[in-house]
Order: sequence, then C-alpha cells, then structure tokens
Amino acid sequence: MDFGRVINLRASDAPSGVVDDWGRDPALVRSMIRLAHGRWSVSVGGDHYLPRRKGALIVVNARRFALAPIFAAFAVGETLGRPVRFVGRPDTAPVGAFSRRIGGLLDHPDEVAGALAASQVVVMGAEHGDVGRVDHTLVGAALASGVSVYPAATVSSPFTRAARVEIGPASKSLRRRRGPLSELELADQVRVDIASLLDELGELHTGTPLDWLPLSGLGGA
Amino acid sequence: MGGRRVFVSGVGGELGTLVASLLEAEDWVGELSGIDADPPRRRLNRTVFHRIHPDEHDRIVDTVVKFNPHVLVHVGVWEPDARAAPHDAATLTDQAATSIIGAAAECPALEHVIVRSGIEIYGRSRGALTRPSESAPIQPTSEWGRTVAAIERTAAQVGERVGVTVGALRLAPVLGPHVPSPLGRLLRMPAVPFSLLADPPFAVIEDRDAARAFVAAARLGLAEPINVVAPGAITALQAARRGRRIPVPLVGPDWRIARTLSHLAGAPIPDHVAEALHRGRLADNTRMRTLLGVEAQTSTTEVIDRLYHWPSVVRQPARIQVA
Repeated sequence: MDFGRVINLRASDAPSGVVDDWGRDPALVRSMIRLAHGRWSVSVGGDHYLPRRKGALIVVNARRFALAPIFAAFAVGETLGRPVRFVGRPDTAPVGAFSRRIGGLLDHPDEVAGALAASQVVVMGAEHGDVGRVDHTLVGAALASGVSVYPAATVSSPFTRAARVEIGPASKSLRRRRGPLSELELADQVRVDIASLLDELGELHTGTPLDWLPLSGLGGA
Repeated sequence: MGGRRVFVSGVGGELGTLVASLLEAEDWVGELSGIDADPPRRRLNRTVFHRIHPDEHDRIVDTVVKFNPHVLVHVGVWEPDARAAPHDAATLTDQAATSIIGAAAECPALEHVIVRSGIEIYGRSRGALTRPSESAPIQPTSEWGRTVAAIERTAAQVGERVGVTVGALRLAPVLGPHVPSPLGRLLRMPAVPFSLLADPPFAVIEDRDAARAFVAAARLGLAEPINVVAPGAITALQAARRGRRIPVPLVGPDWRIARTLSHLAGAPIPDHVAEALHRGRLADNTRMRTLLGVEAQTSTTEVIDRLYHWPSVVRQPARIQVA
C-alpha cells in the first residue's frame, strides 16, 4: 500500500485550522503520522473486526516509553479512515494540551464512556510489563456504553522500521454476570487474548544473539 | 395542550426576546407575559411586557401570581461583564432568581420551570472531564459557574417543594449579532490573546439555536438538565486567525497585564472567559438532540465566522440636535 499517497489523499479531506468536538486537530495528527512514518512502517491487521461506524475500545499491550497506545491510535485511524483517540493524556500544559490535540483523552472512566457513547474508537494501553493488568474501570466504561472491547498486540523493533498492530476479535467474558464482576472478568479475558495474539504473532527476530537477550527491547510485551 | 400561559423572565435581553418571539409562533402557547428591567429588543406581538427591576420584589410577585403561568421560562440572568460588572451581575441574577422563581412557586397552575444555566457549572479544575455530560459532577470554578449552580439549586428546591418539574438548559457561551458577550467582544478585538502553552478548545452556541432549545424544553416540559452546545470546537488562536485578528501569545503573568489592557479597551475578561482560554470549555451535546429533538443549526466554527461578519455598533449623531 502506498502509505504516503493515502495520507495526501486524506489531507485534502480533513479541514485545517479546526479541532473536533474533543479538541483533536486533524492537521496536526496528519503531520505527526508523517513524522512517525519516517521512523516506523506500521502495518495493521484484524481491522475488519472493528465496527465501521459504532464505537470500540481497543486494548493494546504497552511497553514503557514505547507510546504504544498513541502510535496504535495513529495507525488504526489511518487504516479505518476515521479519528481514533487514545487514553492517557495528562491534564497539565503543555504536554496535556498537545496530547489533546493529537487525540488524547483523560484516563477517567467517564471521559472514555463519553467518547465511546459518541461512537468514537478509543485505544488504551494495558499496564507496562509482560501484558500487564488491564484497567477494569475503563473496560466497565465500554460495557456501560454498550460497545465491544478488542484486544490488540503491538510489536516493534528498535533496529528496523517494521511495526505491527494486530487486532483480534472482540473479547467476551466466559460467564454472564449482572454486576461489576463482568468488567473484572472481561478485563482479565482481554489480557489473556492479548497474550495469545502476541504468541501467534511471534516476535520480530534479528537473526543475531540479541534475540536471546531478555531486555533487548524486541517484541511487543 | 393549547392555551398554556407562559411567563418569560429576562424578556428584555436578546436571548429572552428571541425566546418570546419564537414562543409567540407556537400553537400550544395561549397567553404570554414577560418581565425585565429593560424593554424587549424587538417588537413582540402577543407578549405582555412588564418593566420591573429585579429588586422590586413585591411588584414581581404580584405580576407573576396574577398571571398564574403554567410554564415559567427563566432567562433573566446576568453574565459577568456582559451587561453588568461581575459583582452587580451576581447580585441582579440572585435577586431575579429568588423573586421570580419564588413568585412562580405561589402560582397554583404552575407545571414546569425551565431555567437558563451554563456549562461553566462543571468547572475546569485539574482532571475535570474534557467534554462533560449532564451526569458529570457540578464543581464550578468560576463566579459565573457558581451563579448558575445557585440558580439550578434554587429552582430544584422550589420544584421539589411545590411538586413541579424543573429543567435546566446549560448553555455554552452564547454569541449573536446583538448578544452582549464578553467572549465575543474579546474575540472581535483587533488583537486576541491566547494561551501559548495550552490554547485549549471551546464551544459556543448561537443565540437562535439557544432560543429554539428553550422553546422545545418549555413545550416538552423538560425535567432535567441538558447541555446546549453547538457541534465542533475552536481555539482562541484559530478564532483569531479566522477573523484576521492579531494573535497575542501569552504565558503566566502576561495575562494579568492583558486583562487590564483589555478592560481598558472595553473588553473585560471575566474569570470564566479567562478559564475558557486557559483550560477550554466543551460539553457533550448528545442529549440536546435525543431529549429535546433540537440540533444546533450553526456549528461552533460557523458561529465564530459569523461573529467576525456581524456589523459593529455604528453611532450616528442626530441630524438635528434638539437637546
């Protein structure tokens, strides 16, 4: 796919000098994607699972300083051709203000619920580490808004440009619950689904002994 | 449903006049009466106007009780630095709310109360939601926010006591060709200050869309708060660029100087406008469409574009001086 051509095509569609209802600036996001494309070539798989118009919550595995939710949001947004927001902007200027411009939402269940109820696609990260804990309050926001939660695995390499976001089918809790256990169990299930997506993807290999180093930074976990 | 008596407070203001003129065209409205300290801004055909100052408590009570309305639409609020200085605005708003809503409570026919509120009611403290819905906690952080919170509280207490429904329309900053708005006035200045570090987005609503929301709320007997906000958002820098104004980037203590200079230039910046320029002001408008069935016809960006095309006040001296 000619990534640059797609960006240019959409650049003419999105107006410049305006922000949307959440303060996201499409022109700035476009510039950020161009900038990111200089470093990473992100491919997205499994986007056919996502609804075309309705809201969706995508949970990705996150590594410290990797900014996985932000770059996953950019990549998925480009693939879907609609704005995708990410959870985890601070509320202090100037970082918080900049994050809002590129689609950041506060890490608050009501904020996420509001965006999902307005049919927005939102990306959130699991806690750092080897597929860390998934914030069940944000999963609960998705349940309250009646939207599905999708696991997604992100993998990247510090030595190559290749990166991938693989989205899985919507996670479903094994048991039907009427109370708050539903969000806890669904959050656990999302975590399991992300781990199995990462296993299916395998990790990127350099073909060198670096692959055996535990802190090489390879892989998405 | 026909033949309802509707009482509009604040009918002399631009928004109140618009609400009254739209109500006059409604089939379900029988008699229409209004009250304000100033006369209406345009000709009203059916509305009986009473010119009474908010501190004339007894006259207000007599007028409202005699009319015995089914629906009270309370638009009689004073935004700080719109038509009155912040302290006077708070006093006038409090007097009007207490007298008019209190008087309406004495009316046996009263069924619904609709009050004008503002999205400033949510406040913009650290960690406040970017786009609060009506269920967000009420934590006002500006004088105007506390004023509208007090109006809602007063109306809710009265509604509970006398058993009538109370609806509140939480309006985004209202802009219109004749609406006295501190935000609109500031944005029309030749140089517009903006926060260099934040430049957050805010939303507005055009006066006509706000008036349509009031009419729908009165017709439906709205019994809860609803955000009335135009779709879209804009930042102060973007607004200045659209209006071909000079954007002035400010950081920290510069704002104190800018507020003083702006005040001297005739466009004071009250704390709720300063807050919008520093922290943004958005709100979820989903229920405006689903509950009221009203959709803003003008987006925030279009309202700002129109703001720069509305003619300025032109003062023409009399051709013949008679006094």
